[in-house]
Amino acid sequence: MDYDLGASADALRARLRELIREHVPEDFLGAFSHDPEDLALTQAFCKVLAKEGLLCLSWPVEYGGAGASVWEQTVVREEMWAHHEPRGAQYMGVNWVGPALMRHGTPAQRAQHLPPIAAGEVIWCQGFSEPEAGSDLASLRTRAVADEHGWLVSGQKVWTSYATMASWCVLAACTDPEASSSKRLTLFLVPMDRPGIEVRPIPSMLGPHHLNEVFLDEVRVTPEDVLGPVGGGWAVMRDALAYERVGIARYARCDSLLARLRQALGEEWDDLPAGLRSRWVRALVDVRVARLLAYNAVGRPEGVDPAAASLARIATTTCDQSVAELLLEAAGATALDSAEGAPVHGALDDHWRYAQAATVSSGTIEVQRMLVARQVLDERT
Amino acid sequence: MNSSLPEEVLSFSRSARRRLGSLGGAELALRAEQDRSERTAVGKALAELGVGELDVRDGEHQLLACAELCRVSGALALPWPLVEQLTAVGGRPLALVDLGRPRVDHGDVLDGWLGCDLDGNAHDLVVGTPTSAKLGPFLVPAELGAPQGRVSSDDVALHLVLGTWRLLGGLEAALAQVVEHVGVRRQFGRPLAEFQSVRFAVADASVAVRGLEELAKFTTWRLHCAPQPQRLVDATALRLHGAEKAVQVLRACHQLLGAVGFCDEHDVSVLDRHLQPLIRLPLSAEALAARLVPAVGRGELETLFT
Repeated sequence: MDYDLGASADALRARLRELIREHVPEDFLGAFSHDPEDLALTQAFCKVLAKEGLLCLSWPVEYGGAGASVWEQTVVREEMWAHHEPRGAQYMGVNWVGPALMRHGTPAQRAQHLPPIAAGEVIWCQGFSEPEAGSDLASLRTRAVADEHGWLVSGQKVWTSYATMASWCVLAACTDPEASSSKRLTLFLVPMDRPGIEVRPIPSMLGPHHLNEVFLDEVRVTPEDVLGPVGGGWAVMRDALAYERVGIARYARCDSLLARLRQALGEEWDDLPAGLRSRWVRALVDVRVARLLAYNAVGRPEGVDPAAASLARIATTTCDQSVAELLLEAAGATALDSAEGAPVHGALDDHWRYAQAATVSSGTIEVQRMLVARQVLDERT
Repeated sequence: MNSSLPEEVLSFSRSARRRLGSLGGAELALRAEQDRSERTAVGKALAELGVGELDVRDGEHQLLACAELCRVSGALALPWPLVEQLTAVGGRPLALVDLGRPRVDHGDVLDGWLGCDLDGNAHDLVVGTPTSAKLGPFLVPAELGAPQGRVSSDDVALHLVLGTWRLLGGLEAALAQVVEHVGVRRQFGRPLAEFQSVRFAVADASVAVRGLEELAKFTTWRLHCAPQPQRLVDATALRLHGAEKAVQVLRACHQLLGAVGFCDEHDVSVLDRHLQPLIRLPLSAEALAARLVPAVGRGELETLFT
């Protein structure tokens, strides 16, 4: 038994922190702001990472990656999320669109899409959720109606993050409404400037760019746009969602923010109410547990275990929310300051708002509980 | 990075579970409440397993074997002061106590007790008469004897860690009983396991137990590679987490079992009552958290960003 991630993972962590110090200002809170410079910063940082071979570290060498170990990939997830994801929207392309293309894409699709993702030059969004299909994704209603050239897609997507920034979308649509839920969906790779696509941002407490509506009005898609088999979309989506459960190392930002606020408070930390300081102790233990459960989910020889991933996600999302509350309480009267001079450059307010979505996005906590219960209650031998 | 227990440790654990389980598990614990001499068989079985030769301070494998043995003992509600025996100092069983009000679980089954608080301040203990309480039925009040200097922080840490492995074993066994129960118990024409609220409660308890398992393994590993004072800080944090998760999981177990879970004939009733000393002694969870506050203030609970 050994919890050391290894020398290469340690060196990678040190290198990433160096690059972040060099290229990412301390007050950076992610690409999702009203300031276009934040998006530009992430695009530039992705190119820095790509140049160092660090953007697609986990990808196989043949696709421009470095074939990194699962622990090196873990370090990248931790450091990026802890530092407000300076890859911006790129992580989706790197984390799951690229790997899905490697597994399910045609040679032409791989040749067209993998190099720009590896170079940090393209942003993807994910057209899955719909007004009537949230947790129950398999029941989505967007229709792809076949004709002699392929399909015409009509419908509506919602909650689509980065849709205003993205140049490509992995779009899920129903190609056979009569088929069983596992065979009715197909995935299409669609450029966002294709006629018939309209994006409308949804103002929200999360901040700009997080939530959008995407309207599809007879959008032309062809057989060349299909990712994986026609009718095989659900299997690819399940793969993607399983990855997404461990793809965001929320515990790492909790860890980082607790450390930053501790440092910012200095001796004032000792004057916090005793109850708050004992909650701080528990929060650090919960962060450690969430990290260990994430390691347990990804560190298996057979790859990410879906039930273990759900278990880890329950732990990390609930931890995210309790840490968010703790941080704002510890900030006291300055908790709601958002202008210049706000505690930790406004990161506490930003974290609290985003943490509210932790148990909803990428599969609600109820879905995660269903998956854990299924393994514990239905699959026991 | 490898969070799996070594195969030889798992093999030893399986042997221990077979041998100690053959004594009767929770039924034995219940019988021992009525007739304390029933515990003689436990001492004999432990000797057969070679517990006398296990040295918890002799390398990682021996420590892990002891941890797994404690986990088994928790699952079986084994009526024996195993943690105290395994962490013996100078051949004397070691009890972690509140020096103001010392209590020793199974204090009447071994001789020569040494007691210390979490700072390591040690005394001879003069154990009194068992009280046969419902909660912690084998707790024995004790009085302080002569001071015996200090027990090392590492011994205190070992004690806290092994005690939490015993707690973990008890919680795993309680949850397994509940999983079995909701699978067969039918209400409103269907098994309880088909009700969403039941499924969610089982899921949340599973998260708590698996999280505690991972933290127990990690903390045990840290005993061999972290510097002091982090080793003691980690061990205290583990016990804090274990005590709080125990309350959460046992509460969920009782709720899902309904009235049957309160009956002495049910394992969960026995497990819950017998785990109480580990949950509440020598300090409550809140007191453990308060002890950790200064350490956290100094950054001694190590994280990715301390």
